Amino acid sequence: MNIWESFKIALSSIWNHKIRSILTMLGIIIGVAAVIIIVAIGQGTKKQMTNELFSTDKNAIQIYYEYIPPEGETEMFWQEPELTSEDIQTLAEVPGVKAVVATNQGWGMMTHDDEQGEMQITGVGAEFFPARDIKVVEGRALYAADNDGLNRVVLIDTIAREKFFKETETPIGEIINLNDNPYKVVGVYESPLPEQFRNTETGEMLMPRSVISMMFGNREIEQLSVIASDPENISETGRLAADTLTTEKGLEDGKYSTNDFEDYERELNTMISLLTLLIGSIAGISLLVGGIGVMNIMLVSVTERTREIGLRKAIGATRRKILLQFLIESITLTSLGGLIGIGLAAVGSILVSKFSPITATVSPLIVLIGVSFSALIGIIFGMLPANKASKLSPIEALRYE
Amino acid sequence: MMKLSNITKVYGKGSLEVPVLHGIDLTIEDGEFVAIMGPSGSGKSTLMNIIGFLDYPSSGTYELNGEQIASAKESILAKLRNEHVGFVFQQFFMFPRDNAIKNVASPLVYAGVSKRERTSRAKDLLVKVGLGDRMKHLPNQLSGGQKQRVAIARALVNNPTILLADEPTGALDSNTSGQIMKLFTQLNEEGKTVIIVTHEEEIAAYAKRIITIKDGRITDDRRVTS
Repeated sequence: MNIWESFKIALSSIWNHKIRSILTMLGIIIGVAAVIIIVAIGQGTKKQMTNELFSTDKNAIQIYYEYIPPEGETEMFWQEPELTSEDIQTLAEVPGVKAVVATNQGWGMMTHDDEQGEMQITGVGAEFFPARDIKVVEGRALYAADNDGLNRVVLIDTIAREKFFKETETPIGEIINLNDNPYKVVGVYESPLPEQFRNTETGEMLMPRSVISMMFGNREIEQLSVIASDPENISETGRLAADTLTTEKGLEDGKYSTNDFEDYERELNTMISLLTLLIGSIAGISLLVGGIGVMNIMLVSVTERTREIGLRKAIGATRRKILLQFLIESITLTSLGGLIGIGLAAVGSILVSKFSPITATVSPLIVLIGVSFSALIGIIFGMLPANKASKLSPIEALRYE
Repeated sequence: MMKLSNITKVYGKGSLEVPVLHGIDLTIEDGEFVAIMGPSGSGKSTLMNIIGFLDYPSSGTYELNGEQIASAKESILAKLRNEHVGFVFQQFFMFPRDNAIKNVASPLVYAGVSKRERTSRAKDLLVKVGLGDRMKHLPNQLSGGQKQRVAIARALVNNPTILLADEPTGALDSNTSGQIMKLFTQLNEEGKTVIIVTHEEEIAAYAKRIITIKDGRITDDRRVTS
């Protein structure tokens, strides 16, 4: 008797006890479906959060100043060292650095004709445009000369253009008022920010950072980030740049460091993995309970079919063949349950993806693991009943009433 | 040829020990038609189980065609059951969800015979036992006599040398019993060794050798000359 023959006998035995088989499989079905859906949602959430947190600046890393108070003193007035264009030049020469983005921020009330609105202004240099992949849709980007010459020019984003200018109007060359000072619009750009971070009310604008410094009294460089030529090495590149800057500035009571996204990402991963593990183990317990259910029903089946086992032995079935038959039956039962569970999980993932922002992805690997795991449950929990069946004495089994 | 020497069988252990067979010596030649008679509890079924490799003797030797098998491994006994004997039981013992053909063919599954070959052999035997028109019937669609014919066909399917029947007519009326016994007689004439366990004189009368057992001992062993 080969495996296929045993498999057919197993299938017909499962088919002959439909309700019992389905109820037995239910534990496995629920367990497998739960595990797969939870893992799918976990992976989907991870992907989504990673995208949200890191996609805006996938290869940019911020460098910030950190004050280290001298021994014994806890807090005192401290000032961040002033950064200059030379510092930026130095940073740009650090190996692995593709570009350096130095910005500052300002807020201002913009008026043009009858429209008025508060604008967030980012002070940038010419390098900002290629580094951040800014798309200028009308007019021009900023030149280095704009910063050097303190040119009072601005670029507005497409949202601001829509608010302050008519479609037919060309904003290029127009003079707008910002805190009652006139500025000339030289370009319109598409905001690179993800939608949820945009100021959808009035839009945003870009200006030479030297002008912000002069007009608003800010420091010329408030935020500093470097863009790595290789996103894979962003953390090392950032650290190297920060250290270079610390050395360059000869700092004693402070240093430059980076926001290590890798740490965040790792932390997030750990959190999600932990959560997945937790819920996964609850699902695992469901599988265990399902397995015990299978064992129980297989034991009942062995008792019910004692005479059949006796007869099979009388006509020449060896212990091994009886063992194999019941083992295959229990593996078929649990694998079938596993397959149905995977089907349910697939449907569930599609529903989750459709009705929630999370894209739950059922990976082929987890399907493979699901099937093999349920088959494994069949082997583990089928062993005892199958062994019991194989050890029945043929005459006692035939005499069984 | 089967040669049993000083076979004993004890059931249970310790104070619960129940001796069933006390030193049976028995030789059965190929082609014999033997009836084992005795009242219930005499040990005749136990003897048949040992002869048919379904049970181990507690002591003694069992020689089959010159080979010692009294303490052979379980898997070897299973092979012997499959190849050398065919069983017929009082309660028929069918696979209730399989039709006559599949029931008859079932021992061949364990012998590793292909499905086509199994079906063709089963069909031939069903014709031989007179059930050519009942091949696709399920056991519950067959009468007692028909079921026993299916069981006999099943016992023959792997072409064994020995047919063992434990009260084969016990659940049948006398008319049907006669037909079944004629079938056994015919099979014996074709060369099969037939061993029948019974407590009925009329059934034993079909055999050519009648062995009587009482309290686990052979009390009579006579050959019938017809």
